[in-house]
Amino acid sequence: MTKHFASTIAAMISQVFILSSQGDHLIYKDFRGEAGSDVVGVFYEKVTALTGDQPPVVMNHGDLHFVHVRQGGLYWVATTTADSSPFTLIEFLNRLAALVKDYCGSLCEKSVQMNFALIYELLDEVVDYGYIQTTSSDVLKNFIQTEAVCSKPFSLFDLSNVGLFGAETQQSKVAPSSAATRPVQSSREQGGKSEIFVDVIERMSVVIGSNGVVMKADVEGEIRVKCFMPSCSEMRIGLNEEFSIGKSQIRGYGAAVRVDECSFHQAVRLDEFSSSRILRLCPSPGEQTVMQYQLSDELPSAPPFRLYPTIERDSGGRLLMYLKLRCDLLPRSAAINVCVTIPVPRGSVSVSQELSSPDQSAELKLQSRAIEWRIPRFPGGTQLSALFKLEAPALGPAPLMEVGPVVLAFELPHLTVTGLQIRFLRLSPVQPGPSQRWIRYVTHSDSYVIRV
Amino acid sequence: MTDSKYFTTTKKGEIFELKAELNSDKKEKKKEAVKKVIASMTVGKDVSALFPDVVNCMQTDNLELKKLVYLYLMNYAKSQPDMAIMAVNTFVKDCEDPNPLIRALAVRTMGCIRVDKITEYLCEPLRKCLKDEDPYVRKTAAVCVAKLHDINAQLVEDQGFLDTLKDLISDSNPMVVANAVAALSEIAESHPNSNLLDLNPQTINKLLTALNECTEWGQIFILDCLANYTPRDDRESQSICERVTPRLSHANSAVVLSAVKVLMKFMEMLPKDLDYYGTLLKKLAPPLVTLLSAEPELQYVALRNINLIVQRRPEILKHEMKVFFVKYNDPIYVKLEKLDIMIRLASQANIAQVLAELKEYATEVDVDFVRKAVRAIGRCAIKVEQSAERCVSTLLDLIQTKVNYVVQEAIVVIKDIFRKYPNKYESVIATLCENLDSLDEPEARAAMIWIVGEYAERIDNADELLESFLEGFHDESTQVQLQLLTAIVKLFLKKPTETQELVQQVLSLATQDSDNPDLRDRGYIYWRLLSTDPVAAKEVVLAEKPLISEETDLIEPTLLEELICHIGTLASVYHKPPSAFVEGSRGVQHKRLPGSAGSGESVESPDPGAAATETPPAVIPSQGDLLGDLLNLDLTPTTTTGPPPPTTSGMQMGAMDLLSGGLDSLLGGDIGGNPAMGAAFGAAPATMPASFNAPGSGGLDDLFDLGGGVGMPMGALNPPKAVWLPAMKAKGLEISGVFVRRAGVIQMEMTLTNKAMSVMTDFAIQFNRNSFGLAPAGPLQILTPLSPNQSIEPLNNLQVAVKNNIDVFYFSCQYPISMLFVEDGKMERQVFLATWKDIPNDNESQFQIKDCHLNSDAASNKLQSSNIFTIAKRTVEGQDMLYQSMKLTNGIWVLAELRVQAGNPNYTVSSVALAIGPIINQNGFENGFTNQAL
Repeated sequence: MTKHFASTIAAMISQVFILSSQGDHLIYKDFRGEAGSDVVGVFYEKVTALTGDQPPVVMNHGDLHFVHVRQGGLYWVATTTADSSPFTLIEFLNRLAALVKDYCGSLCEKSVQMNFALIYELLDEVVDYGYIQTTSSDVLKNFIQTEAVCSKPFSLFDLSNVGLFGAETQQSKVAPSSAATRPVQSSREQGGKSEIFVDVIERMSVVIGSNGVVMKADVEGEIRVKCFMPSCSEMRIGLNEEFSIGKSQIRGYGAAVRVDECSFHQAVRLDEFSSSRILRLCPSPGEQTVMQYQLSDELPSAPPFRLYPTIERDSGGRLLMYLKLRCDLLPRSAAINVCVTIPVPRGSVSVSQELSSPDQSAELKLQSRAIEWRIPRFPGGTQLSALFKLEAPALGPAPLMEVGPVVLAFELPHLTVTGLQIRFLRLSPVQPGPSQRWIRYVTHSDSYVIRV
Repeated sequence: MTDSKYFTTTKKGEIFELKAELNSDKKEKKKEAVKKVIASMTVGKDVSALFPDVVNCMQTDNLELKKLVYLYLMNYAKSQPDMAIMAVNTFVKDCEDPNPLIRALAVRTMGCIRVDKITEYLCEPLRKCLKDEDPYVRKTAAVCVAKLHDINAQLVEDQGFLDTLKDLISDSNPMVVANAVAALSEIAESHPNSNLLDLNPQTINKLLTALNECTEWGQIFILDCLANYTPRDDRESQSICERVTPRLSHANSAVVLSAVKVLMKFMEMLPKDLDYYGTLLKKLAPPLVTLLSAEPELQYVALRNINLIVQRRPEILKHEMKVFFVKYNDPIYVKLEKLDIMIRLASQANIAQVLAELKEYATEVDVDFVRKAVRAIGRCAIKVEQSAERCVSTLLDLIQTKVNYVVQEAIVVIKDIFRKYPNKYESVIATLCENLDSLDEPEARAAMIWIVGEYAERIDNADELLESFLEGFHDESTQVQLQLLTAIVKLFLKKPTETQELVQQVLSLATQDSDNPDLRDRGYIYWRLLSTDPVAAKEVVLAEKPLISEETDLIEPTLLEELICHIGTLASVYHKPPSAFVEGSRGVQHKRLPGSAGSGESVESPDPGAAATETPPAVIPSQGDLLGDLLNLDLTPTTTTGPPPPTTSGMQMGAMDLLSGGLDSLLGGDIGGNPAMGAAFGAAPATMPASFNAPGSGGLDDLFDLGGGVGMPMGALNPPKAVWLPAMKAKGLEISGVFVRRAGVIQMEMTLTNKAMSVMTDFAIQFNRNSFGLAPAGPLQILTPLSPNQSIEPLNNLQVAVKNNIDVFYFSCQYPISMLFVEDGKMERQVFLATWKDIPNDNESQFQIKDCHLNSDAASNKLQSSNIFTIAKRTVEGQDMLYQSMKLTNGIWVLAELRVQAGNPNYTVSSVALAIGPIINQNGFENGFTNQAL
């Protein structure tokens, strides 16, 4: 008989398993012999039976607690019988997924299936008897023997997978997003071709009140390094010299870049940070978030979009919505993939529209009760307008209250709203052979809301 | 037939093929074969038949192949223990391998093979590996000790591995330290009383040093270990806090939360006027805010924790309201948690902002979220009085939308607002009545009916409205039926002339045509009241209702305290103590915050925060419950302790309750340490009021240390008072008190302290029904108004509801059962003998009183002063047997036998009683001793 002691150790993992979205067992590893493998099925039943409003994060089955995350379309699950820390388990599962991605090149059912031996080997080093040991790819590379099996040979010129950064590949010298999708280990046999990607990614949340006042404007950003170097060398990332942290800093003239809070990867050495804003680190192979930062309320520039709506009911009982949308970016920048979602009153059946240019489109989604207005490219300093006539035979008594808030989703390539820039990226000692360094910027909308 | 044959041969064929491949000479082929075997294993196929062939591949210098074989071994060794022995030699050999990777691999795998026979062979290699020169091997060996301990604890102790493990805490490699700490923490949990993880300032210092150097995961182990330490004084507390604070900016949220846990706990020990205390408070906010920018899973877990932190220390996040505003793309479960925290942080300063947000949320698409938002507006109105008017007008706007569920939620909360601010917003009733037809949910219908009944005199057509509901009486839910019954009776009492027929009708529907006992009973009560004494009926039915509390859904303070000690763990997500969901709560300590661990010292503490941790305030039932029981305003507290609830069936139940109460008071601080106790408390051990410590704390220990207490006349000393109702819970009125028995009278002494800014007057007291029928002998005599910060000490008896000009407050407190032993409890010898024999054995119970260093005579004296009388004494084989009797105020006799062995500090008590004796008795004994000590 196995004994169970109710433990309050924060990081004790009983089992780890990876399931496909159909519930196929891809990986199953039991660390403590406390529960049978039948719980895998139990988990799948539970997770697929969840309704939208139930928090899926922590579930229990008797004394066994499941914590899971979804990455790459797969379920990554850890179980525990103790009062473990869900933070630890979630962070762990995310790291595990990142490790698997680093080692197998991509994260999907196929790559996990093909590399199961490698993943078991990783798991053995990463967790022992439920205690997490390390998730640093730098440390792990000393132990891992199995070579990754790659589903598709990597090619820089394969542009089929254009995503986050690939929007304007043709016009600018930007590496396609698929460039960073390959296993770290394969660099060993790729003849030492060394590449490093530094991405600055910002997500912005804005709430603009119905009177046009900016009620909330937050930015969350991170600097991500993805490293394919045959040998690890020191890297120095120089940020804007005027970069400052904290609210109390007095700002002078000029383009100071300020954030409220900043946290760094533990491998980052900050001895040159306070004097000259340089991050020093020896990047581990694979992907890592080097720095995370936030800024609340005081954006250095105006929010990128403003909306001027006019809504009225006409004599025929229709609802007329005349929307003017202005993009306040600098003229040389542009927003892409802009999607404006306008909630409409209950009882709306159809919409007719007049849009200011042919590349835009709009449709009424009855299921989500909203009009979706799509603008593929929206240059800075311009203004677009749209007129929607909403057919709604059975309008409630206060239909105008049911309109809004308008939500915008977009991407701003080559741009950071905080103004954070990377001054330089230096590797020392200088890498032998050709090495490529890529720096990419992008800002996404996280939650951009304009109330009407 | 042929088909199935074919099927089995294929299966066999597959295994056969693999077998051949496994025995191939080519390494690559072997490796591929083992991989195939493991692939089959993963999808759940049984490949145990290949065990010998796979084990044959073990002896290889190819590390990759070896790892694969070991993977297989771990999975199947248990089902094939005899075969597993075959692998032992290779393991032992591998433990000597020059390559540290192989040594570590061998020791790691051996520990995972849970076969007893193998563990014997494991000891020697493990001993070597624990002292290995390579830290990678040592850290693996440290974990292996924990594995071995789980299989065979005795072996680990005998082999002295625990000492080696302790030495590893001082290892030079932080990874080894972290694993040793983790292993020791786990082993220590299964030996609750051992001193395995001996935390003293020196080891703490070592841990703090290792903290800076080890991996993020190691930091978590170390921080969690630190959280179990109780610093000696505030200075040590501060220095640990200072060294832990840098972890708050770690990128790993688990490290951050473990650090928050340590800081929240140690903060309790810091004096609040200390500069550092304020600094620390400021430092806690940013990391918590940062967590909210993580992915939704982490956000949700973080919000559940923040919810706890906000309840304990609202000051940390009071300026951060904005970060809790929901984003349109948050998942619904994140939105709901954020909403809850927004309400908790709402105050006069930010209410305008909050209300503007809530109004926006109420027009969103998601129904659940909209409902909760509407409800939140109502909660704002109740919490922040200044905002009530704005909230009501916002709700009215929302009702105008005529969106069905919005209207219904709005009506439910408006009912609560009426309860909180009577006679203020009745002008809106007309608007509400317009929406009567659209209400289809029971809760909304019940709320509307309540409003109509309550304000019947102002609604001209109240009778018509109620009559319209009455038509479908039988189809309504019970909630609505009860409400309708009450509302019509109210209407009748207010407008008797026009509504006689209506009330007749509802009474007959409720009493004759319904099979619901609640409804019937309530119907009969009204009927009789109305027919016998209409004046009394008016007094009862139209009585002034107690105000509803400001905060709902508050976590009970002792539970909150325990949960704060478990920040960052599953307990903090479930909001339940670990004992409620972790199997075999054995060894789980009920953790408590250090500041409140002491006994009654801080009873007079002027700080309401500190007082709150000491007290067992009955959480005021939420409005819903109160409303349901409008007329049945029994003040049943929701705490699980205190006087037995009146609803319990039969005496036995009541006695059980007394037992648990008594045990608590006896055991004082170390309640959680006793596994049996944990079980006895059942589902809600954490709701035990902390004040049990106060009257009982130090109980027996104190008593018997104080040798001089023997023979001291009773009542010479006053036991200390415990805080029963903290000022925080009662709008500034703090009540502390104690029970004593003086000259045959049970007395409840209370100190009432006014900690509010304004004068308090009009005091009154009322007790809930209780097992022994205790009731106040006279009204609460407080002649002079109580001005701020003044306290008075009236002499009075017993407990539960205290009223003043501001509000009615409920609390429960516990009286020692020995209070109830009357002075004429000495039984005649003959009667005693006869009775002792007559009582069936079932009524007997036995227990031990530990660590009593008194001889039988002294004990007898002592007990006598608590009205426990010794009838006879007998000495058998060096044991003194005392036969004793006591009588309770309600006339029940309890008989006991007390066995005292010279030199043995443990007494054995067997007790019998007429009816409820066996259980009462233990409690009484303890209190008898305790009382005397005080």
